[in-house]
Amino acid sequence: MSAAIVNAYVGAFFEVALAHDAVSAVEDDIFRLARAFESNEALRSSLTDAGLPAERRQKIIEQLLAGKAHNVTVQLVSLLVGTGQVALLPKIADALVKRASSEKQLEVAEVRTAVALTDAQQQRIADALTKATGKRVNLKVVVDPSVIGGVIATVGDEVIDDTVRTRLDQVKSRL
Amino acid sequence: MNLLSLVLAAEDPTQSHHWLFPEIAEILYGSIASVAVFSLLYKVGWPMAKKSLEARTAKIQKEIDDSAAARREADADAANIRKALGDIASERAKILAEADAQAAALLAEGRTRITAEIADLEARATAEIAASRARISDELRAEIARLAASATTDAVRAALDDRTQQDLVDGFIAKVGASR
Repeated sequence: MSAAIVNAYVGAFFEVALAHDAVSAVEDDIFRLARAFESNEALRSSLTDAGLPAERRQKIIEQLLAGKAHNVTVQLVSLLVGTGQVALLPKIADALVKRASSEKQLEVAEVRTAVALTDAQQQRIADALTKATGKRVNLKVVVDPSVIGGVIATVGDEVIDDTVRTRLDQVKSRL
Repeated sequence: MNLLSLVLAAEDPTQSHHWLFPEIAEILYGSIASVAVFSLLYKVGWPMAKKSLEARTAKIQKEIDDSAAARREADADAANIRKALGDIASERAKILAEADAQAAALLAEGRTRITAEIADLEARATAEIAASRARISDELRAEIARLAASATTDAVRAALDDRTQQDLVDGFIAKVGASR
């Protein structure tokens, strides 16, 4: 049931974004919002709080994304909040990114770092991953402080982990 | 003066009564009456008295016989009681001996069981102590590892300035780019 709903929303979002010629912007905005939704407890509880009127929750998301996301993104996420399906946002975002990448014959490359990357660094990482995997990648960067340092990249089923967290985990295991 | 002279003298009405002896006729009548009374008593009273005496004698004899019989019975009872007392003493001694034997057996069994239980408890306590020691050692080791890991993480976080973060990203790019 959940997968069917996700697929329905993904199809609708993609078609709307495509109609507005904003697929890249929308999928990038939704991807970043989904990661924030996952990591931010306050945001998650506010948007999923059934005690809050849908209009109030939609207002929150509109204020949050105002000026930071494409207008189509704001409208689509507001719709999702209004229908009470915002809990599916991470799955919808992942599926939408995958769908958009697939349309462009790209492989999604999720990169997690402890600090924000410059555009140049993102481009260099995308080039390096393309070279390493032999696939053109659609780079998605997630700033994740739990990484501590370094980078972990996931391209399809392949994971390239060069993070300080993993090294510390190995030290802990040895201890 | 003899009795006859006295009697003759008594027949003389002119003579006064003797201060001790009654008149002759009185003596005579008195004697006859006495004989008659005594004869009557002998004839009638004696058999009754004799019969009464015999009955009393028989009663006394019977009581004596009863007493003798009672004494014999008492002696027999006493003998039986003495015999029973002897049996009781023997039974008591036997019971005491059996009780002593059972108590000794129970004591021996109890000592054996307690000894086995003590040995079992000691073995279990030893095993538990060893297990506790191992567990505490493991927990201590794990805690030390956790603290060391936490301290290491904190130290690494403190050492990761912006320059180092950028170096790590560049290192990743260089490593991945060079992988093929």
